[in-house]
Amino acid sequence: MRVGIIGAGTMGVVHAAAWGTTGAQLAGCFSARKSQCDQLAELHKIQSFSRYPDLLEQVDIVDICTPTATHKSMVMEAARAGKHVLCEKPVALREEDAKEMIDTCEKAGVRFFVGMVVRFFPQYRLARDLVTEGRIGNVTVLRLRRISYPPQKSTDNWYIDEDCSGGMIVDLMIHDFDFARWLAGDVQRVFARRGRGDDGVAQYSQTILRFSSGAIGLIEGGWVYPPGIFRTGFDLSGTDGLIEWSSDQPDPVSILRSREVDLPDAVGLPDSGLSDDPYALEIRHAYEAIRTGKPFDVTAEDALRSLRIALAARESLETNLPVEL
Amino acid sequence: MRIGILSFDHLHAENYQDKLRKIPDVELVGFSHENQREGAEYAARFGLRWFQTHSELLAAGLHGAIVCSTTSNHRELVELSAIAGVHVLCEKPIATDLADAEAMRDVCTKHGVHFMTAFPMRFASSAVALRAIVQKGDLGKILGINGVNHSEIPTAHREWFGDRALAGGGAVMDHTVHLVDLFRWILNVEIAEVYAEIHSGLCVSPMNVETAGLLLLTFPSGMHASIDCSWSRPASYPRWGHLKMEVIGEKGAVAMDSFAEYVTLYSPGASRNPSWVGFGPDPNQAMIEAFIKVIRGNRKPPVTWEDGYEALKVALAAYQSGELQRPVKVTGAGHRRDR
Repeated sequence: MRVGIIGAGTMGVVHAAAWGTTGAQLAGCFSARKSQCDQLAELHKIQSFSRYPDLLEQVDIVDICTPTATHKSMVMEAARAGKHVLCEKPVALREEDAKEMIDTCEKAGVRFFVGMVVRFFPQYRLARDLVTEGRIGNVTVLRLRRISYPPQKSTDNWYIDEDCSGGMIVDLMIHDFDFARWLAGDVQRVFARRGRGDDGVAQYSQTILRFSSGAIGLIEGGWVYPPGIFRTGFDLSGTDGLIEWSSDQPDPVSILRSREVDLPDAVGLPDSGLSDDPYALEIRHAYEAIRTGKPFDVTAEDALRSLRIALAARESLETNLPVEL
Repeated sequence: MRIGILSFDHLHAENYQDKLRKIPDVELVGFSHENQREGAEYAARFGLRWFQTHSELLAAGLHGAIVCSTTSNHRELVELSAIAGVHVLCEKPIATDLADAEAMRDVCTKHGVHFMTAFPMRFASSAVALRAIVQKGDLGKILGINGVNHSEIPTAHREWFGDRALAGGGAVMDHTVHLVDLFRWILNVEIAEVYAEIHSGLCVSPMNVETAGLLLLTFPSGMHASIDCSWSRPASYPRWGHLKMEVIGEKGAVAMDSFAEYVTLYSPGASRNPSWVGFGPDPNQAMIEAFIKVIRGNRKPPVTWEDGYEALKVALAAYQSGELQRPVKVTGAGHRRDR
């Protein structure tokens, strides 16, 4: 199958590399930013398209890695052209949009995969497997953390524009809202607090979830640490046990050297150590499911429900009240 | 100086008796405990003189007493001590309701004895260091605080922790007050509002108290802080639990893990294997020494009745929030305290 990458920014580059681990053929890329698109095309020896419809004619699958605000139009156009769609998270900025995207793909008879990549991080998958096996009994209190630094892109920093990315809660915390749902089922009530720096970008939020099962969860998210620092972790307690993991734990290989000043990446991505690259696992899974007609491990409906929690958290900030789902 | 321990109901009495013995010129006169079987057992185990009634211990002549009864019984013992003219160090939470707490303040004022609340974490070197960093202002504007006070379910050590009538509640009552006190002490401001989700299901055997809670507190400035007060560490955890805090500011963050100084011990016969054995100073030692100084110098306690009272108010507001499923205002919040 032939694949087109849409968007040549942080995620476009990562996804293009991940496709190289599948049996699919990377056919071309398209981006509104011509020079980035040409660079990516050059790197993978593929065609750089200057029009989206032209690319659509040449591929079977599109992988949409553009800013979130553009996801809807990109997905709809691809679906109408009869192409299978992979789309970066968050699926969209509004629930109605996400629903429309799901419906359109369904009607067009194309597969629609949303990249909730945390489900492909090996430690997160292991934790979920342990929970599913009943190793800690029923999950009762979960704590999830994902604190990064403010996005550093020197130009076109669309992440910090809430109308474009949904902001930190929708863009970043959605990962743990999704993981929380995967572990403990549907969320019934959401209450959130957030502190913001004077620049309006630096921010830290803590959100309390109450699940339909009765379980409770504290989700921490932030664009707040000094550039280059990104910490994640989970602490899952159950009626019969506990699972702890933190990115503070030592890596399998540590380089010991005098401290140098390294320029951080524009956007922090969590490191998965020496294990399989989660982005490659994600893309391989989506590709195999499309190729064989098997179901996805994480559905577009899951992505929609995680978005709903993130939007409820934002609403709670506005109303100062818990939001019932 | 003559000190006694009023009741061994609270587990911490076991630690306090050890710390008292390490202070020069302090005589641990003994302890009172009105359950005969338990009293005899503790007397034998710790080699302490046992008084079968609290009045007998107070009649032996004390300068100060540490009240370690069930929380619901604090008021009675504080009243007995105050009337006997004995200064009080009272275990936390100071009471199960505000009326009892206020009565304790009144009786101590009336009889001119000092009342100190037992918040040992203020004396932990980690908390002292964290406070200094925050107060220096290096973190810039504070955007939020994450607080964790986890432990195992304490009913294996003392059953009454699982009895609402005696303890006033479960995990929320037991753990909220420590972090609330640290927040108030570090930021020098009261808590305005509390939101809580409370959970009762961490225990297999039925208890009539909650075993877990997640709180989001809001300060008058709008700044927020969380408290995870859950009894969510399994009995097999390498230690009873932990106390952690991360203060996140615009210009940096500071993370505290108060019990991070430990060695890992693997010992097949031990109740926890492995177990994290702590080193470094025990904050209880400094707290008790501070109490002794209060008595010696007849000075205001470094942790006051008001500190215990304000922390209790937040815990009670958390229960109210959990029931109403909305944020609850903490009455009288927002004033800077007189220091």
